[in-house]
Amino acid sequence: MKKYMGNKLAILLFVAPALAIFILFDFIPIVQVFGYSFTNWNGLTMPDFTGLKNYIKLFGDKVFVTSNRNQLIFAIIITVYQMFFATIFAITISDKKMKGRKFLRVAYFIPVILSVTVVCQLWGSILDGNGLLNKFFEVSGSDFKQNWLGDRYKAIYVISFVNAWQWMGYQFALIVAGIKSIPSDYYEAAVIDGCSNVKAHMKITIPLLAETYKFCLIISLTGGIKAFTEMNILTGGGPNKSTFTLTYMMYNAAFKKSDYGYGLAAASIMVLECMMVMLLINFIFRDKDQGKEEEKSRRKRNA
Amino acid sequence: MKKKLVSTMMSLTMVAGLLAGCGSSTTTDVATDSTTEVAEEVAEEKVEEAAEETTEEATEEKAEETTDSGDKVTISIYTQYADDDTKVPYDYAVEQLAEAYPNVELNLIVQAQDDGQTLKTLAATGQLPDIFQASTDVINTFRESNQIMVLNDVAESTGFLDKLYDANKDLAYSDDGNIYAFPFSGQEYVLWYYNKQLFEDNGLEVPKTYDDLKNCIDTFTAAGITPLALFGQEGWNTAAAYDVIATRYAEGGIKDLDLQKANITDQGYVDAAKTMEELVAAGLYQKDATTTNYDQASEMFLSGNAAMFINGQWYIEDATKALGDNVDWMFYPAADEASYEAGKSVFSGGGSSSGFAVNPDSENAELAAEVAEFITEKYCEAKVMYRHNPLVAINTGKEPESEYPAMMKKLSDTLPSVTGTTKFTWGLTNSTFNDGIQSETQGLVSGQFTADEFISDMTDIMEDMND
Repeated sequence: MKKYMGNKLAILLFVAPALAIFILFDFIPIVQVFGYSFTNWNGLTMPDFTGLKNYIKLFGDKVFVTSNRNQLIFAIIITVYQMFFATIFAITISDKKMKGRKFLRVAYFIPVILSVTVVCQLWGSILDGNGLLNKFFEVSGSDFKQNWLGDRYKAIYVISFVNAWQWMGYQFALIVAGIKSIPSDYYEAAVIDGCSNVKAHMKITIPLLAETYKFCLIISLTGGIKAFTEMNILTGGGPNKSTFTLTYMMYNAAFKKSDYGYGLAAASIMVLECMMVMLLINFIFRDKDQGKEEEKSRRKRNA
Repeated sequence: MKKKLVSTMMSLTMVAGLLAGCGSSTTTDVATDSTTEVAEEVAEEKVEEAAEETTEEATEEKAEETTDSGDKVTISIYTQYADDDTKVPYDYAVEQLAEAYPNVELNLIVQAQDDGQTLKTLAATGQLPDIFQASTDVINTFRESNQIMVLNDVAESTGFLDKLYDANKDLAYSDDGNIYAFPFSGQEYVLWYYNKQLFEDNGLEVPKTYDDLKNCIDTFTAAGITPLALFGQEGWNTAAAYDVIATRYAEGGIKDLDLQKANITDQGYVDAAKTMEELVAAGLYQKDATTTNYDQASEMFLSGNAAMFINGQWYIEDATKALGDNVDWMFYPAADEASYEAGKSVFSGGGSSSGFAVNPDSENAELAAEVAEFITEKYCEAKVMYRHNPLVAINTGKEPESEYPAMMKKLSDTLPSVTGTTKFTWGLTNSTFNDGIQSETQGLVSGQFTADEFISDMTDIMEDMND
């Protein structure tokens, strides 16, 4: 292995295809997005360079503030919901004594394999003004009927829930896989030491799933920042753009107003936000890993 | 050394395999001799050029042959095909086309209700259909990039211009004096429909003033009936809901704002926003109006769960079919009776230079232009004959298969006294204003945005219009 790794030509040749695809389909388009964000462009004709005009306009746009607020709410809700429930459910079904664990494992994952459109239509029918949820309140004699998707402030929470509900199963699968990779010896040792089941999971499972959680955190937070589909289907970004995100701003500017330059300025900010979140998460987790490594080597030295 | 060689060979094999997999089926031999390589490249280029030329010639010849020889020419068309008002004319046009152009076959791509977003995406990726239904905004955008055909000659040679009603002559031309689309709709109007039976049952008169309207709202709400079903999921419907109020205060309505002949801070528009805010607070629209789609709102009205409905005059046929004599349209209520009477001659809605346009880069562009003109005529005929809608762009010389519905007769009687119209959102010229008025009026309808917020936001939007 060492010899293969020492062969620079082999490394280059193995890396080249993936690198070429990444450069062609990711890196160059992103650079183009940044480039066009400094122009006045309708997507069809030659762009005119306008400098920072799009960015100045963007930062003064009320919808930009709303979009960022919505992204933050969306990201926090899906992250907390998905990681919390995915952990609970994964730990529960990892217990081999539990009955129906195979059924639950499939049931939790089913929403993930459904199309987003199907899920949104389903929840749209439930959350509609005359939908299942309001009918339920009506039948039960409660006057707690809500305009779930048409409320300026509440709609974003409802939409976040729909996304969290659908994708919880994905994180659940990752955590289940993570739990399976933990040797059972650790739990046996913990039981011998008189450790309770809950404490064993708190002290063994969760700390050893740090890498899995890091990945889950990245996908939920960046997923929140680039949220679009659920808003598009459930509320159309409304009422009056109150459920917009930066992706929606980009879409609206490009395809409704034919203002690609402005839309791509919004997209550039979104890319930067995603990158910042990833760097932050990497920094937080790297710091901890380094601390652990240092602790280990200190113990070794002392021993 | 051996291992190094083996690993290099393995890497090369993998890369070659990947490239072969990703590439076309054409195989490329690696030439070791540079002279041979250059010679081969030159030869290949020549062969490719010759092949391309041959293919182009063959395609042109084939296109000509197909029209002459009887082989089918398929023309793609992007148009609405959602309800009877769009399905009936299309099906009739296809039927007529099969007789007049037996070699032409239409490939329908159903238009999405997305304010031209799909069409713009198709244009950006060079995949425009041969014929497409274009709104004013789309025409203005595509003509900048030469992705819409100038149809002046076709309009003249086919006699389309002669068939246009005088009142609709302007609809054919864009502001640069060219024809980019064959319009099939004439002057159209936003009508305020109401269920006569429900009004009678609840002892109500047709409202003339906003006070009368508030009285109707209270009565219907108390009876568990939605006063007015709006399909606010579609921005044009909320914009129309604002426009029917705005025209009572400022005749030009949203058209004058779009053309920047008026400002949103003008007293008439401010009053209209405040009136709408009051009516929403009183409960004129259903609470979830902004998430209600056309099917849901129409069902509410046609089933008697809603007393009023705002839609174009094309809805007359469907409303009459479902409600018979129990449905009618009213003149829009106003602040007082004098304004009500004065406003009877002004309608929201109007014509626009939208219609069937042609992709100039189409393989069969000339034929597509002819077909577009033909389909436009047939659309007009079908609308007159089967949809009882005489408000089409051209004089078809056709009569409806049965008598016009009472509402259409009433509208026809009213039209001679109409002095002003505004625009539907698809007839607005400025896309920034169009997007803004649709979303801001949706905000007003939701009841969660105040009139002051509406005015403030619209002021910002109108400042951006010239950017």
